[in-house]
Order: sequence, then C-alpha cells, then structure tokens
Amino acid sequence: MSTSPREPQFHHAVLIDTTPLPDSVPKVEEVGATSAPLLSASYFIGARCKDYNEDYMLCKHEAKGRGPVDCLREGRKVTRCASSVLEDINKYCLKEFRAHWECLDQANHKLFSCRAEEKPYNKCVFNNLKLEKVIPDTPKGEVPVHLKESPIWRQK
Amino acid sequence: MVQDLPPIGGYAPIQYKRNIPARGLRPAYYLAGVLGICTFGFYKWAQSIRELNELAREKVWARLHLIPLLEAENDRDLVRRQIADAERERALMGDVKGWKMGSVYNSNKIITPRYGYGPDEELREKPT
Repeated sequence: MSTSPREPQFHHAVLIDTTPLPDSVPKVEEVGATSAPLLSASYFIGARCKDYNEDYMLCKHEAKGRGPVDCLREGRKVTRCASSVLEDINKYCLKEFRAHWECLDQANHKLFSCRAEEKPYNKCVFNNLKLEKVIPDTPKGEVPVHLKESPIWRQK
Repeated sequence: MVQDLPPIGGYAPIQYKRNIPARGLRPAYYLAGVLGICTFGFYKWAQSIRELNELAREKVWARLHLIPLLEAENDRDLVRRQIADAERERALMGDVKGWKMGSVYNSNKIITPRYGYGPDEELREKPT
C-alpha cells in the first residue's frame, strides 16, 4: 500500500492539457512526420531552410532563456519551410522518397544501408527541387561518403 | 697394452639430417606473404575507420538540420501549456489579495515544468 494518499496512476484526462494556443498567436500546422521520413528529408530541409533555421537558433541564443516565447515567429517560419520541403518531395519524388525512408525504417536508420535507394532519390530531388545533399566539412580531395562507388560499410 | 682406437681413416660422418627433399618455398617468402596480407588488412581497416568517421559526420549533420524544426514544435507546445497554465491561475487566484501571478522562479526565463496539472477539476483528487 502506498503511504501517499494519491492513487499511483497517471490519468490521461488529468495530465494531458489540451487547451489550444490563443488566437493571438498565428496558427501553423505541425510537420507530423515520423523519424524515418524526417531523417530521409533532413539534408534537403537543411538545404532549403538554412536561413530560417539559423535565424531561429540565433534568436533563441540571443533571447537568453526567453526563447520559446520570443522566437515563436521564427519557429513558425522554420516549421512552414520544412513542411514545404516535405510537400514538394511528396509531390515530385514520392516513390523514391517512400522507398528510401521505408528502407531506413527497416535498417535501424543506418544511412549506409540504404544507398541503393538513396541515389535515385537524391537525383530526383535535385532534378525537381534543385536541392542537393551536401555533407559539410568533408575532408578535401575525398569523395563524400554518400557518393562513394564501393564503400566499405554497406551491409544491412 | 693394446687399446681401442678409431679405425684407420677416422669414423664415418654421423647422419643427423633427414635425407628428404625440402618442400615449398623459402621461409622468407612466407614471411613476406604474411606481412603483405597483414599490411593490406591494416590498410583496409584504417580506410574503414575513416569511412566510419564520415558516416558519423553524415548522421550528425542529418540531425543538426532537424534540430530547429523539432525545437520549434516543442517550444510551441511549451508556450501553449504555459499560457493555459497562466489562464487557469488567473481564473483560480485572480481575485485573491496578495497573490503574485507568474513564475515561481526568481527569474524571467522560461523553465520547462516538471509536472503538469490538467484542467479537469472533476478528475482531480479531492483532499482527504
């Protein structure tokens, strides 16, 4: 028996607060994608939304602990931009995108296990959206790891 | 007195070595082969470590690109809860004299609450 008078349970209806944001804050639809599609699209989100992302992170850094309230506007821009990327990928490269993230889902999110799916996907996104996957700080004179012809690590 | 002496011309040489032909290559070649295979293995190993580092960088950047997105979503949720919390506080304690509204912390920062209290009065526990 518990020594506390409280029942030892978490009741959803008690603990989940469903009050929406007030109308004074503009609405934005959340992205709602799960981890595998997000990982699959992350480089393209980073490519298109770099300015918004950096603006948001700088805003939070400069807000000195007031970030969540002061940077709502920048945060909405970040979310809208990421949603636009996912929307465009779904529009133009749905087949390749789905093949890639489903592979990632099955392969424990290891990017090197899904190069066969990644290559046509990257190509399609580059042709249609003009977004390129670039890994920053790759050593000079080395082929980026996602473009290697015969990588050492490739098993499932 | 006659003594035992070696035969004239000395003893025949003792055969201590087996009289069979040597098989295979000279040992130096085997040593070179083993060293060569090992060198190749170490080379590939070093290459694979370099590739692993690159794969790690790829993964880290994939996550870095997603951080603002996830953080923005979480911040909106946090702000939503805080505003709802403040509204509830105002409704409950707004007309209590001497009650100070707002953060219980001695700072202006947004602090993620450790416990959430929901809006439903009926489901809350009655004090006994």
